Amino acid sequence: MSHKQGIGITVGGQRPADTRQILVGAPGPVHALYIHVPFCAHKCHYCDFYSFVDNRDQQEAYTHALLLELRAVRDLLRGGLQTVFVGGGTPSLLRPQLWGRILDELHNLVPGFPEAGLEFTVECNPESASAETLKVLASGGVNRVSMGAQSFNPSHLKTLERLHQPANVQRALSVAADAGIERRNIDLIYAIPDQTIADWRYDLHIACDLARTGLVDHISAYALTYEPNTAMTQRLKQGEFVAAEDSLEADMYDTAVDSLSAVGLDRYEVSNFARPGSECRHNLVYWRCAQWLAAGPSASGHVAGSRWKNVPKLGEWIEGVNRTGGFAPAIDIELPDAERSLRERIMMGLRTREGIDRHALELGAKELNCAKALDRECTSLEARGQIETVDGRLRLCAPSFLWCDGIAARLMDAITRNAD
Amino acid sequence: MEIRNFSIIAHIDHGKSTLSDRLLQSTNAVSEREARQQFLDDMDLERERGITIKASAVTVRHAVDGVEYMLNFIDTPGHVDFTYEVSRALTACEGAVLVVDSTQGVEAQTIANAYLAINQDLEIIPVVNKIDLPSAQPDEVAMEIEQALGFPAEDAIYCSAKTGQGIQELLDRICRQLPPPRAPQTKKLRALIFDSHYDDYRGVVIYVRVFDGHLNHGDKVRMMGTGRTYIITELGKYTPKPEKVKSFGPGETGYLIASIKTLKDVRVGDTITIDNDPAEEPLPGYEEPHQMVFCDFYPATSTEKGSDFEELREAVEKLSLNDASFTFHPVHSEALGFGFRCGFLGLLHMDIIQERLDREGGVEVVQTAPTVTYELKTRDGVVHEITNPADLPDGSLWEELREPICKVELIIPTDNVGDIMPLCLGRRGIYKQQQLISETRTMIDFEMPLAEIIYDFYDKLKSMTRGYGTMDYEIIRFQADRLVKVDILVNGDIVEALSFIAHKDNADKRGRVLLTRLKDQIDRHQFEIPLQAVIGGKVIARETIKSMRKNVTAKCYGGDVTRKRKLLEKQKKGKKKMKSIGSVEIPQEAFMAVLDQGE
Ligand SMILES: Nc1nc2c(ncn2[C@@H]2O[C@H](COP(=O)(O)OP(=O)(O)OP(=O)(O)O)[C@@H](O)[C@H]2O)c(=O)[nH]1
Ligand code: SF4
Repeated sequence: MSHKQGIGITVGGQRPADTRQILVGAPGPVHALYIHVPFCAHKCHYCDFYSFVDNRDQQEAYTHALLLELRAVRDLLRGGLQTVFVGGGTPSLLRPQLWGRILDELHNLVPGFPEAGLEFTVECNPESASAETLKVLASGGVNRVSMGAQSFNPSHLKTLERLHQPANVQRALSVAADAGIERRNIDLIYAIPDQTIADWRYDLHIACDLARTGLVDHISAYALTYEPNTAMTQRLKQGEFVAAEDSLEADMYDTAVDSLSAVGLDRYEVSNFARPGSECRHNLVYWRCAQWLAAGPSASGHVAGSRWKNVPKLGEWIEGVNRTGGFAPAIDIELPDAERSLRERIMMGLRTREGIDRHALELGAKELNCAKALDRECTSLEARGQIETVDGRLRLCAPSFLWCDGIAARLMDAITRNAD
Repeated sequence: MEIRNFSIIAHIDHGKSTLSDRLLQSTNAVSEREARQQFLDDMDLERERGITIKASAVTVRHAVDGVEYMLNFIDTPGHVDFTYEVSRALTACEGAVLVVDSTQGVEAQTIANAYLAINQDLEIIPVVNKIDLPSAQPDEVAMEIEQALGFPAEDAIYCSAKTGQGIQELLDRICRQLPPPRAPQTKKLRALIFDSHYDDYRGVVIYVRVFDGHLNHGDKVRMMGTGRTYIITELGKYTPKPEKVKSFGPGETGYLIASIKTLKDVRVGDTITIDNDPAEEPLPGYEEPHQMVFCDFYPATSTEKGSDFEELREAVEKLSLNDASFTFHPVHSEALGFGFRCGFLGLLHMDIIQERLDREGGVEVVQTAPTVTYELKTRDGVVHEITNPADLPDGSLWEELREPICKVELIIPTDNVGDIMPLCLGRRGIYKQQQLISETRTMIDFEMPLAEIIYDFYDKLKSMTRGYGTMDYEIIRFQADRLVKVDILVNGDIVEALSFIAHKDNADKRGRVLLTRLKDQIDRHQFEIPLQAVIGGKVIARETIKSMRKNVTAKCYGGDVTRKRKLLEKQKKGKKKMKSIGSVEIPQEAFMAVLDQGE
């Protein structure tokens, strides 16, 4: 029988609905910026990025809102930008004239833009990267392109529903080089259904040639991942094909590491290979858990310990940004939390060749009162030869890159407040 | 003043709580605003599940024909597992209001509860509820009540607990139709304990119904069964706010407090009398609750007998303070370490306890698959109670192994009889009888081993009848059958918690199904893991979990951090609910896989 009258009290505070609470008054400066362009010519079947075929031509409205969003963080950009990454979607689909407006805006907002050390990457598709666009980009400060090659085998491209001719990749890279864009990456995908190790060696062979001739200085090679809610995963479930065995996938990975290092592209992250000095500094910002700003629908940011993701819906994003004068409606907001941050540093840092500053890690663990738990886990992983500490940096032993997730999960679990 | 003691009985969701509220409100015991709360339901958990667990009593007043009545209204739970609690509440009553939802009709627990009341010679008032709903079919439902239970359709009261329609008539009928309490048979006090609960502030609160004599504040009373004595420090009634009173006379119902420390000191069914002027004989008592379903709880985080075990002990003890029908004792398992073997009245009872452990106890537990109690007669003629398959000795020592058999009563749409028959027969059910209770619905009786219904039977029944089927069960006897014990070896080691008892005819199949399930649930390791099912040393099924070559996310950039972190934490959180057996980590779910019948 209830004697309690029970007055309803809602537990848990209201979450901020847009980025204003994170960005206004955040201690700047922030030196990295990610911009998301959501348009694609066709939706690839494996893709789970926020992108769509823009039948209604919303480029104009998109650009307008993007500029508002950039202006709203002008204070945080006062210290200048060191890296900019424009991803998508297919940024090269954006009309050159709109690109011009975006680049001009950056020039206006950011003191000294584009400064000497800037790394400014734009993702391109082989078929949409026109000479005109690339010239506009280059003159606005863009000095790096990332080209979605994925495979040089037409039948595998077809499996991925990726619409381009293999030969276009090299052509597009040359056009970019001619336009004066000095650094060039290609993305490759392996472990595609029906792909044999010989097929993959062929792709690697072409990629290595591009590296040898200097057309690329960086390669990202990803195992095909069946993301939820993609056509590819749907087809897999329907039995249209079978996923590659993980032993084959592991062999393909090892093959990639070997062949790419033979042409001077060293692994500096699980799936990323670069000529020394050509590592993508923007992506290193992510792996080092440093700060960056985000603009565009679905773009994620990390500022002053808070993480968020702009709504992954163009209409809602435009509406919200226009209404608030530049602050996007946000989801997945995570406010600063020392435990979470430290776990993230492990998760991200472990993926890289440079690893994690062990001393900083231990200090962080000590503050959370879990240094002993961390130490215990490290000792156990070291004893099994999975991790090592070199020059004060904790990192995976080379063969353990294939086991990165399990190792990260163990170390992250050790980071639990008051575990000691 | 005239007194009437009654209960409301119903199938779940037919509106018992709502009707209770409405009755309280109509007798002005409760204001509109208060009525919005469901008074007779306690604890959040019950509200969430919408099930009443604790019986309690409320006293209200009503006048009819110029006479004033004191109505003692005794609450009962409505679920199949709590039949026992219903019966003890009913003993304190002379009458019962049987509520049937006019959109659903008679269901399995309508029948089960009605029979409990009939067996106790209670006067029953049938009520057809929810007549405000467009889909109500009051006449048809009244007819169903007549066909299934024999109460004339024209006697049923049509009402809506929601709008209040028919409520006055119901109150009048309760006063006019229900018999008064029986006349006292002695001057000496005899009060029946029909429920008790634990209150964090006041300790144990006991609900009593006085049959003979008087009970006064300050009396030194004796519980005739246990012989314990206590001084009454408070007597009262809920109206529904607690109101203290000085004394209860014959026929009255209320609560008492007497600085009793734990529920274990109180036996429901016991008779209270005056210590220095005792009654000669106690009132006819009730049965003790009998635990029929058992499972183990182990702390998820450690296998050592350390702080986690102590935390679990505390949590389990605390729960048992509130629930005298839940039992526990410490156990040790090779694979899982130190934990507790717990007994429950039924499956729902088990779910509720497990949820409360998680929620209130703050301890993460690994739970083993529920099993039933067996009786083992060994060759030396001794009968042992076996609540854990792992405790079974070698088959050569058995004379016979007996299992609990239930009478299962199903009420289902007649169209589904063809689906439900094979389900029951496949679970070793023995068909007893079948009766049409309306044009579209059929009541079927089966006898079935409890072990066959403790998992997934109810869910299957529900899904095969698109939610319309209902069931009730009651254990009627123990019976020997050709039962065997199946052991499971993981990487060569026997995992006791995965052992199960099955009928010889389907033990092989169950073994195979279990291995397939384990294969799905145990993560691949860096080495190959053989799985075997064994009966008496003979391997009846095998499977292999292949080794894993990699575990790495290909892409991880700025936008992936949150999702990826949660995945890794979950991967590990799942792992927390894992037990290492040798070098193999077995997740919690795998222990429940034992129950899969592979239908
Ligand atoms: N429309 C209508 N809805 C009703 C009426 N009586 C009860 N309900 C609704 O039916 C549902 C179940 O009612 P409860 O009173 O919780 O049922 P119960 O029998 O007490 O259920 P348990 O506590 O689970 O045994 C609730 O959503 C009520 O609001 C009625 O007369 N009319
Ligand atoms: S081009 Fe890139 S972003 Fe667009 S659909 Fe294909 S993979 Fe996705």
